[in-house]
Amino acid sequence: MRTATTLYWLVCKDLVSEYRARQVWPAMLMLGALVTFLFNAQLDAVVEGKSRMLAIQVWLAIYFAGTLALHRTLTTEHVDGCWDALRLYPITPAWIYTAKLTVNFLVLAALQAVILPLCVLLSNVPLQEHAWHMVVVAVLGNIGISSVGTLLGGLWLCSRQGASMLACLALPLVAPVILAASEATRLVADSEIGPQWWRWVGLLGVFDVVFVTAGIVLFDFIIED
Amino acid sequence: MQNKFVSILCGGLTRAAVTCPLIAALGLAMVFAPTEETMGQVQRILYIHVASAWLGLLGFAVMGGCGLAYLLRRNLAWDHWSRAANEIGWLCSSLTLLTGSLWAHSAWGTWWTWEPRLTTMFVLWALYSSCLIVRSSMDEPHLSARIAGALAILGLLDLPLVIMATRWFRGIHPVSPEMEPMMQVTLLLNVIAFTVFFGLLFARRHSQLVSESLLHQLEIHVLADHPPVVNEVRTIPPLSLETF
Repeated sequence: MRTATTLYWLVCKDLVSEYRARQVWPAMLMLGALVTFLFNAQLDAVVEGKSRMLAIQVWLAIYFAGTLALHRTLTTEHVDGCWDALRLYPITPAWIYTAKLTVNFLVLAALQAVILPLCVLLSNVPLQEHAWHMVVVAVLGNIGISSVGTLLGGLWLCSRQGASMLACLALPLVAPVILAASEATRLVADSEIGPQWWRWVGLLGVFDVVFVTAGIVLFDFIIED
Repeated sequence: MQNKFVSILCGGLTRAAVTCPLIAALGLAMVFAPTEETMGQVQRILYIHVASAWLGLLGFAVMGGCGLAYLLRRNLAWDHWSRAANEIGWLCSSLTLLTGSLWAHSAWGTWWTWEPRLTTMFVLWALYSSCLIVRSSMDEPHLSARIAGALAILGLLDLPLVIMATRWFRGIHPVSPEMEPMMQVTLLLNVIAFTVFFGLLFARRHSQLVSESLLHQLEIHVLADHPPVVNEVRTIPPLSLETF
């Protein structure tokens, strides 16, 4: 119960801090919207395979815009000895990882809430016809990207390196998520909800379980100093 | 003197024992293996391509395993093995992409296509490159080992998922093509010879990394005991391994 309360306050701390400072969310949402606009501007010329193009564009836009927030989550702790103070909380590093993962999940969910409707409006691809199926794909894809992103954010917190490498290191790792989520999104757009769709959703689920577990276990090893 | 002679002799014999089978296996692949009817001579690339692809995957398994061992034990010896596997694995996966591209140009008429297996290999190559970038960008050995170890484990966990994901795509890459018995034997011999050869490279690179690490420690030790003095010519006293 006490751990759950601490987790709650850790999540609140990050959300309130970002709400007050507004350092990343506006830039992230703006970048996401701009990338979506630019991608969709080219979609009109596409006659065949429009849903496939849209699906990969949606997930790349989410990934690239989300990278801003993923990097920010842990680097904010650099300032004024925040990280040392955070380590004094009566919880294990695994719970710190869980709190940061929750914050990243919420940030990416906000980003998805902007990008997905924008894509439907701009491209006329009917993702909304199977809204619940799309929500399942969005949530699972979000967890996959957040889990890897949070862990890599932790690595960068320790290494004191710049953010420039985070995107290029995370992309190979989240490639299966982006592939699976885009394929599942395409099937939703084409109204082909069947065994094939479930297979991709299953892959996303396996990825999420594996990487959230790996994150919880590895985070302790990574940030020990 | 005698020990040095024995050491040189053993080294030479080991190198010969590893290199000769490799040359023999390559000769078998290039000259004696039957020519494939449809593809012609280009098909012989397969013998190198399959062997290097196998070593690319094996390298990742070794790198991930050693990375895990380092995180558990905090012994830099594991990181040296992991780093050697990273470099050899990167080399092998680069060779796989290169030979695959040469084959594809002849078979499919293009140097590259976003085919599932090619994409898988490219993702693997990108993961290897990421670990190399991390290692080269950090000076502190334990920090570099910790981060590269974590990345290697993540990559190792990622690998089956990448393979599984791409199997569900409809690909054009040949899967277990039928071959004549002589071709199968040649392929098997090449895989074994390449594995032994890259095993030797792996061991050599590991011993280089160990020496590099010892030298680094030696430099730190010398600088700590005898800090450099500006505008003064100084001689550093001889050191022996007992210094440590």
